[in-house]
Amino acid sequence: MSETVVKLTDVWKVFGDRADEAMEAIKAEGLTKPEVLERFGCVVGVQAATFEVARGEIFCIMGLSGSGKSTLVRHVNRLIEPTSGTIEILGRDVSAMSASELRNVRATQIGMVFQHMALMPHRSVRDNVAYPLEIRGVPKSKRWAVSDHALELVNLIGYEDRLPKELSGGMQQRVGIARALASDPEILLMDEPFSALDPLIRMQLQDQFKALVAQLKKTTLFITHDLDEAIRIGHRIAIMKDGVIVQIGTAEDIVMNPADDYVREFVQGISKLKLVKAHSIMEPLERYDGPTEGAPRADEEADLDQLIDHAVGSDLPVVITKDGSDIGVVTKPRLLRGIQGGKE
Amino acid sequence: MTDITVTAASDVEVDREQLDASISEFAGSNGAYYAAAFHKIHEAAGAPPLTFNIAAAVLGPVWAAMRGVWGFFWAFLILEMIAWVQIGRGAWGNPGAKFSERAESQLSRSQEFLERAAEATAAGEDPSRFETLAANMAKAAERSQAQADTANAEAITILITGLVLLLAFKLLQGFYANIVYEKQYTRWRISPNTVESGLKQQNLLLGIVLVLVIAPLTIYKFTVASPLEILNTFPEDQFSHLFIANQNETIFTELANWLEARIDAAAVAGQGAFDSITAGVRAILNAMTLALIVTPWPVVMVVICVVAWRSAGPRVAIFTAAALAYVAILGYWEISMETVALVGAAVIICVVIGIPLGIWFGKSKRAYSFAEPVLDLMQTLPAFVYLIPIIAFFGTGNPPGILATIIFGMPPVIRLTALGMRGVPESIKEAANAFGASRFQTLRDVEIPLALPSIMAGVNQTILMCLSMVVIISLIGGGGLGKVILEALQYAAKGPGLLGGFAILFCAMVIDRIVQGAFRRADQD
Repeated sequence: MSETVVKLTDVWKVFGDRADEAMEAIKAEGLTKPEVLERFGCVVGVQAATFEVARGEIFCIMGLSGSGKSTLVRHVNRLIEPTSGTIEILGRDVSAMSASELRNVRATQIGMVFQHMALMPHRSVRDNVAYPLEIRGVPKSKRWAVSDHALELVNLIGYEDRLPKELSGGMQQRVGIARALASDPEILLMDEPFSALDPLIRMQLQDQFKALVAQLKKTTLFITHDLDEAIRIGHRIAIMKDGVIVQIGTAEDIVMNPADDYVREFVQGISKLKLVKAHSIMEPLERYDGPTEGAPRADEEADLDQLIDHAVGSDLPVVITKDGSDIGVVTKPRLLRGIQGGKE
Repeated sequence: MTDITVTAASDVEVDREQLDASISEFAGSNGAYYAAAFHKIHEAAGAPPLTFNIAAAVLGPVWAAMRGVWGFFWAFLILEMIAWVQIGRGAWGNPGAKFSERAESQLSRSQEFLERAAEATAAGEDPSRFETLAANMAKAAERSQAQADTANAEAITILITGLVLLLAFKLLQGFYANIVYEKQYTRWRISPNTVESGLKQQNLLLGIVLVLVIAPLTIYKFTVASPLEILNTFPEDQFSHLFIANQNETIFTELANWLEARIDAAAVAGQGAFDSITAGVRAILNAMTLALIVTPWPVVMVVICVVAWRSAGPRVAIFTAAALAYVAILGYWEISMETVALVGAAVIICVVIGIPLGIWFGKSKRAYSFAEPVLDLMQTLPAFVYLIPIIAFFGTGNPPGILATIIFGMPPVIRLTALGMRGVPESIKEAANAFGASRFQTLRDVEIPLALPSIMAGVNQTILMCLSMVVIISLIGGGGLGKVILEALQYAAKGPGLLGGFAILFCAMVIDRIVQGAFRRADQD
């Protein structure tokens, strides 16, 4: 993709009083986590995290609670200081910034949305959304106008002068998103924004959010513990376990080629119908010697759902085409195995 | 307690192995006995069954001590001592001693009178007067002797009561011990490191030492008619003279003199600082006085009523007007306003110093852990105690009175401010931080607004605490209504005292209503 906006290089976070000592020992001796805990009483929160996020990309970080995903994302705006490694935003090293530079970057270039909304209960919805601008000293008329515009983006017109507690959970989180968008930041950090909402509202907000980000072209780091959500929203997904990024890839990559048993276990329950494309399960035409005459044809980008539609209308395998020419076939056994998740 | 044999519930041994092992581990020695006893308790459906622990019955508190059942130890040590005191009183207490002594002296007096009668007869006088006296005295002696006999007869009853009590307590311990011990076992399973288990030598030793120190002395003191004087009062003089040669001095006088000298020295050394504090307090008080007393009284009254109306509604406003009328008609107006000025000045200083301190303590755990004992001290120390050094340092009058009020009134606002600060959700602070707020901005925009309800509760508490000091500060020359009460108290003037008391009550109620009304409105906003 295009320009890199967020870049993490070998970021470590060790919690504890003797974190620096522990870090040195890890670098020198390659200690494991239990050894670090035993020798230094320190907990390794994030271990050697390296990734890049391109402009306009939604990068999901998926992991169970305690896997270090929230810790990791807080390094991007330095709410947490890394023990080692570098974090760059638009080519600038975040750790090297002075306090005022950092505040400026936080106020102008990074918007953040929190799991528990974290709205200020004593301020109106409008003043909550305007708070990032208020910090920067934007005059009231300007910031109210900006705030109203942000609320319009999340369909909350008419609630500007309400207090947060008068709104439902889903609406409160939309206020949170509006607040993150208000300063028109380059980067959005979403810390499990929809986890506390009920499933229906969550689905609606996911769709709204995806559309909004696509329209506004924000670079997004999206944290979630829900793989379905990660697949729905993310362009790429990083799976974290015990502070380690186990695998980074597109949803299809992860579902079809899980890096280890942990990921495999995770993706088992995921429906492959919309994820798996024909080219990843087809048999090359050279290796297939059965009849193809009159067989249904589908593009290599067709997903399993479409392939099934083709397959039920004929006894023959589905022929996969690329730019109009046949390149392979998907037989019924392959199709069924593909639905199961690529078992051979 | 070695040769205890109990028929165990033998048919459940097989699947109880693990439990048995655990009970044995808990009991240390005699595991088999306790395993069996606990089995019975564990198998009971309703009330725990009676199992008799001979060791507990015989050894009593000492058993409890070596098993680490300290609640049992203290309860039965006390009960057994009650029984032993009865036994002692019955056995050697000699309850009739007082009466027999009296009977003896009366007898000797009667003997005396008889001798005088004989002398009189020898001298040829009428002996009848002395004879009558002698006869009366002899009768009185007889009565005393009878009382002594009854008391001595009672001694047997007391002795038997004591023995019965002792037996009852022993039986109770025997039957109760395993039930208590099983409960301890259950707690031990949850936290094996903190709950005592097994037979510990040092526990046994501690138990024996405690019993030896407590029991003999106590029983001796309660049973002997005239125990040694040293057991009645602590021999502080003799103790002092072990260290101090001068017979006119004791540790008390030495310490008191030393403290007095230090305080005097400090008062002289810090004269400037203390004077400037006094001056500062006086300036605030003067401003309050100017507003409340120098301003024409109709203006002040109207303003107070309007404030009451605006902050707490019409009902409080009517009550306020009535209270002001009471105060004014009875001639307490000026002196009431002096009280309000005193309290107001104290509250202002408390709030101005207390809220920043509270914010600091709310943010820094370490600072709070240092401050907490000081705050406790400020609230628990009786006011009379710190009035003395205040007089030494600041003299008498209104400003020292305000300082005393501050000592008592400041802790609530500090505590509740700190509490409010700690109660601000981390996530909201983090959000402000994430949007680039500086520490000051976070404090101003997030922490203080969210802590405000708690801070206001603290201010209200402080106001009430300050009001309650009004009478006490009159002891060191503070003016206002407290002085009226103090004077009434000194002359036992019931009428003026009661009227003045009501005036204080009304002042307090008006202030409290207005402040609470204002806070409630602020809360709703």
